[in-house]
Amino acid sequence: MPTVGKWDDSAVSPHLHERGQTIERAMLDVLIALMPAAVWAVIVFGFQAFVVMVVSVATAMLTELVMRWILGRKATLHDLSAVLTGLLLAFLLPVATPLWVVAIGSFIAVAVGKELFGGLGKNIFNPALFGRIAIMISPLFIYTTKFVKPFWWRGIGFFTPIQAFIENEGGQRIVYKTIAGTPLDAVSHATPLSLIQNGRIVVDTTTGATPVGATWLTSTGAPGHHSLFLGLRSGSIGEVSVLLLLLGGLYLIYRRTIDWRIPVGVLGGALLLFVVEWEQPLYQMLAGGLFLGAFYMATDWVTSPVTRRGKWIYAVGIGVCIGLVRLHTPWPEGVAISILTWNVLTVAIDRYTARARFGAVKKPLFNRIPPVTGSSRQTE
Amino acid sequence: MGEDEEPESISDERHFEEPGLSIRRTRTFKGGVHPGRNKAETSSKAVLRAPLPPVLSVPLTQHIGAPNEAVVTPGEHVELGQVIGDSGAFIAAPVHAPAAGTVEAVADVPDFRGKSALCVVIAVDSEQPGREASPRERPGGLTAERVRVVAREAGLVGMGGAAFPTHVKLTPPADKAIDTVIVNGCECEPYLTCDHRLMLERAPELVGGLRLFMRAVDARRGIIGIEADKMDAVESVRAAASSCAEVHAAALDVKFPQGSEKQLIHVLTGRDVPPGKLPSEVGCLVQNAGTAVALYEAAATGKPLYERVVTITGPLVARPGNYLARLGSPLGFLLGVAGGLAAEPARVIAGGPMTGWAQGSAQSPLVKGMSGIIALPLLPEYEREERACVRCGKCVDACPMFLLPNFIVDAVQEEEWPKAQMWGALDCFECGCCSYTCPAFIPHVRYVRSAKAALARTRE
Repeated sequence: MPTVGKWDDSAVSPHLHERGQTIERAMLDVLIALMPAAVWAVIVFGFQAFVVMVVSVATAMLTELVMRWILGRKATLHDLSAVLTGLLLAFLLPVATPLWVVAIGSFIAVAVGKELFGGLGKNIFNPALFGRIAIMISPLFIYTTKFVKPFWWRGIGFFTPIQAFIENEGGQRIVYKTIAGTPLDAVSHATPLSLIQNGRIVVDTTTGATPVGATWLTSTGAPGHHSLFLGLRSGSIGEVSVLLLLLGGLYLIYRRTIDWRIPVGVLGGALLLFVVEWEQPLYQMLAGGLFLGAFYMATDWVTSPVTRRGKWIYAVGIGVCIGLVRLHTPWPEGVAISILTWNVLTVAIDRYTARARFGAVKKPLFNRIPPVTGSSRQTE
Repeated sequence: MGEDEEPESISDERHFEEPGLSIRRTRTFKGGVHPGRNKAETSSKAVLRAPLPPVLSVPLTQHIGAPNEAVVTPGEHVELGQVIGDSGAFIAAPVHAPAAGTVEAVADVPDFRGKSALCVVIAVDSEQPGREASPRERPGGLTAERVRVVAREAGLVGMGGAAFPTHVKLTPPADKAIDTVIVNGCECEPYLTCDHRLMLERAPELVGGLRLFMRAVDARRGIIGIEADKMDAVESVRAAASSCAEVHAAALDVKFPQGSEKQLIHVLTGRDVPPGKLPSEVGCLVQNAGTAVALYEAAATGKPLYERVVTITGPLVARPGNYLARLGSPLGFLLGVAGGLAAEPARVIAGGPMTGWAQGSAQSPLVKGMSGIIALPLLPEYEREERACVRCGKCVDACPMFLLPNFIVDAVQEEEWPKAQMWGALDCFECGCCSYTCPAFIPHVRYVRSAKAALARTRE
């Protein structure tokens, strides 16, 4: 009877852990939540969407493996964070983005956005958004400025590899070809947001019997509200179906992987601005990457505040920022830049919004700056 | 504070006369976690008496406070209940011989905190005469001062784990009026059921003990707080208290750490003990259910605290149950009493699994504050490595003290001790909710303890 032995007494309480509460389970949850939107992306944008996702995920994983090896850190591929970063980056790109551009973006996202900051947990910016913005502010941005229309592959071929090429006749412009170089005509389409920005008026009905093909457009040439909600529109790979993104987001809230305050705050903040300025609020809400950002990017654990009040401030701040960028800057979309901006403020927000301790006198609305500069090592 | 000026918090009469107090269930505290209960194996079985081991190692100091000195010498024969260790200091509780026998040595033995403790080692006589009950007076007729004397002479300490001398708790500062005595029957830790069994089997003594506490501090009401997964205990205690209107039994939400002193006071009275203060600050006194029973026994029969009910359980234990065991019994012996272990345990825990201590030695003895001995197999979480914090905020949501555990860990990692204090390291009572729910498997409690130790060093 083994009751006389020496046991391990180095462990500190608690001696129990909440089942399923692990980093990899949380990452897996987000991946699960993104699956419907990923499948829909392939249906709408053809097999090439799948290729872009695979290239992005594979590059992210390889980058993490190599970077951690170079930096002398333990391999952490099993925590799925590289997979998630890769997939989210693919979600942010147009389907015809050249694969080498995808790979560069994915490399920057993981190598710079995450590992050079110190690895998962130490990064200041959401890595996928960091990669996306890196492309946007580089000369490569031109590849990501035009979008194909949904179901462009009908009559051309589901497996047709599409890619954006730069043509230099009369100034730089993007044309679509197969990878072999055969031109693909008339597959590009403006995104709903750029339509709005160009003053195209929206009519709130879809015409025609089916939502497939040309009938997803209203008579003005813009997709209607239904098309936006269901995902019959041009746009980045993962942002088009509000319905499926919403379903995944509700799953994440149900699983308590994300805090509902953040998506509610982001959507609420944006809606507030659209309503105040009365700029087609419903259309603005459904268009662009708002839902993708609200449920899957702004909620990133590492780069969002931990306090409840902080979450509200951060989320509403992002929402209002998105509205301001869309309505008052030359850019049609502002999700990425708004979230990255507020990522920087996250730690400061936490510091100002810590709750009063149990039993302590309630503080004023915000904390005074805590004196954190005093180092005990200096005084010793 | 002026003499006739009542502390403001005491004047909160709202919760006093509320008739619904005894069934208040909706009110709960913020934070906390819901670990699996694992109580079914032991909660339905009556307490069994554990046999005497051949040798007892009785730690001289089984309380928080000034250390005791041995008052016996090797070779001396001791009787059951004889004082073997005592101190002249106020914050101390004497220790009594748990059995008749011969003192073999006064020596260091591994203790439950992983250090070693000075113990009186007693070779137990084969013939054990029964202890004669020696009631000095009727428990009902004791004065406040006599209750404190009885508590001290019996060596009573908090039996829920903190092991603070009871008579000290019963001596609140003169300027703090106590109006409410709370008996803590929450037993919010998984696996533990010793208080549950006490409330079922010894409810009259428990209520008697509560009334003695109330007498000692001149309190107007007594509340027994019990988690709602033990409704049979609530019924049992209510039946025992039916004749006294000032004693209530309250069923509380099932949530860890419901039985933490400050959270319990908050739930039952709506009063919040300020950081760094004691319950007397808000007119409350909290005592463990086991302590209440022990006080009544001491008052009624003169029995000192030389044995206690301990839950011996865990997936590896053959006959899990509650055992009335003599203090100083080695843990290995007690596990044998419970049928032994089916396999080598990964951890043996003294106390509950959320706040208890991992044991290093089968020789470490049972002490007054040890409510459980739990043998756990290798759980998946024991093999997980600590990762960098991913700032998920789950520790923040779980912390019942409203701290930011992730920032405390940050500060400790940077060895910025004032920063650790600023984020509340000293307010942490180490319930472990943060670690329990942390997806990065960060041992927050370990960090907090090193912060507390470092801050104590800087104060010196």
